[in-house]
Amino acid sequence: MKKTVMISLLVGASLFAADYSGVIEKPNASKIIKDDLLAKATVYAMPEGCITTDKDAIARGAYIFHNLNSKQAGQKPPKGIDIKDSDTKQYGNCVACHNIEKAQGGGNIGPDLTRYKAMFMDSGVRDHQFVFQKIADPRIDNQNTHMTINLTTKLFTTKEICEITSYVISTK
Amino acid sequence: MKGTIKIVLSLTLLWSLSFASEQFSMSDADREMYAEMLEDNPADIMVGNGSELLEEYCGGDAGLAEFLNVSEDELPAYIAGFPRYLKDFKQVVALDQVLQALMSKNGHKPFALKSSDMFDMGAYAKSIANGEKIQIDVDANKHIKESYELGKLTFEQKRGSRGLSCLSCHSSQVIGSVLRTQPLPDLSAKGNAPAATWPAYRMTKSSLRTLQRRFQGCMNNALLAVIPLGSPEMVGLEVYLTQEAKGFEIAIPGLKR
Ligand code: HEC
Ligand code: HEC
Repeated sequence: MKKTVMISLLVGASLFAADYSGVIEKPNASKIIKDDLLAKATVYAMPEGCITTDKDAIARGAYIFHNLNSKQAGQKPPKGIDIKDSDTKQYGNCVACHNIEKAQGGGNIGPDLTRYKAMFMDSGVRDHQFVFQKIADPRIDNQNTHMTINLTTKLFTTKEICEITSYVISTK
Repeated sequence: MKGTIKIVLSLTLLWSLSFASEQFSMSDADREMYAEMLEDNPADIMVGNGSELLEEYCGGDAGLAEFLNVSEDELPAYIAGFPRYLKDFKQVVALDQVLQALMSKNGHKPFALKSSDMFDMGAYAKSIANGEKIQIDVDANKHIKESYELGKLTFEQKRGSRGLSCLSCHSSQVIGSVLRTQPLPDLSAKGNAPAATWPAYRMTKSSLRTLQRRFQGCMNNALLAVIPLGSPEMVGLEVYLTQEAKGFEIAIPGLKR
């Protein structure tokens, strides 16, 4: 008898102790984040023929530099960039952080890349490999960089990184 | 409705207004529209709706106070301390999750966290604390400490196809720099203190949005995988940015670009 009373008291207590953990939304996000994390900082060597003065390649590099994505891009893409209307291709959006020749609304989070060839290449301060690596994975040069990571994330191909690099170091 | 909802002049706005050059994203026409909205925040109607919803589903301010075990007088200051660890939830919760539980207790199906009804009701509930200073205590217990740490990690972790973190654009080093025509805001109590000024009317979206919804906006723009509202990481981010905004006076609804 005594036992029954105790048990029913216990049951009662657990029924009435409030527990709202089951009625609220508390979705799990850890897998989404885990799958979205970065591979570690990677060193890349420029492939043969990476840096070019080819007009079309530089035009593609410029296009990627100045635009956010294919849905937002104002002008038609240059020869060699073919995007189906249904696809969204991400571009570099480098002007968000960098000013450069003909930039529209260029930002100033990163250094101004105007006259980059004269200031940084011809003066010998930078070489092709440095600029290529910086764009591919800037963490190698600067662990705490605020710049985007463009090759390790597979946002772009090696060829595209070459074209963007060729544009940055070109005479404009 | 308890107290009049203050029309709040958000710092973001003042700050944006002070940039008059063409380089920036606000045109003169935008600026004029802002000036008008300052007189009359469109979100006041939504917060009014939220007040009615709280009345109907949660027993109003009194019902909320009772549910939280505080007096109605203590309620504003108590709300200014969210997110917090609550034993009955076995976790750190944001205010909207509390409202979900209260709806359920009262026999109603809780509004989804991402529903506009929840945005309205949550905005009203937070506005009860208007004029109070943010007073989160991240040292109160181990649960809130952990939530803070998770939030900090989530803020600093680089991810997504551009390899960015929240910190990439919101570290003290880059505040005030320009990201494609937009000045980068200071998220601390020295700046815009978003934790004290969201929920807010977002002009560019023509709607009332919450702080966690704003986080999703940045994730989306910067190509970080968007995580769901109410997840421990989202609540952690809210804890982290609420701590950053500590001491700032709550002013809901805010008004943002
Ligand atoms: C979110 C901001 C941001 C974006 C977007 C961005 N950068 Fe940068 N960039 C920086 C910052 C900050 C630095 C300086 C710090 C560093 O070098 O890590 C930098 C440095 C550079 C440099 C090195 C300049 C020098 O010689 O020291 C180059 C080249 C460069 N960026 C090119 C690009 C290109 C190309 C893109 C687009 C694919 C791009 N950046 C996108 C922020 C950005
Ligand atoms: C690529 C840059 C970038 C990244 C990455 C970024 N943000 Fe933002 N964030 C911005 C800009 C720019 C604004 C201001 C936009 C405006 O004025 O509308 C902003 C605004 C905000 C605001 C509103 C500030 C206010 O005044 O109320 C919050 C909150 C915020 N960000 C949080 C985050 C969080 C959390 C993350 C990471 C999940 C993040 N941001 C990642 C650029 C960024």
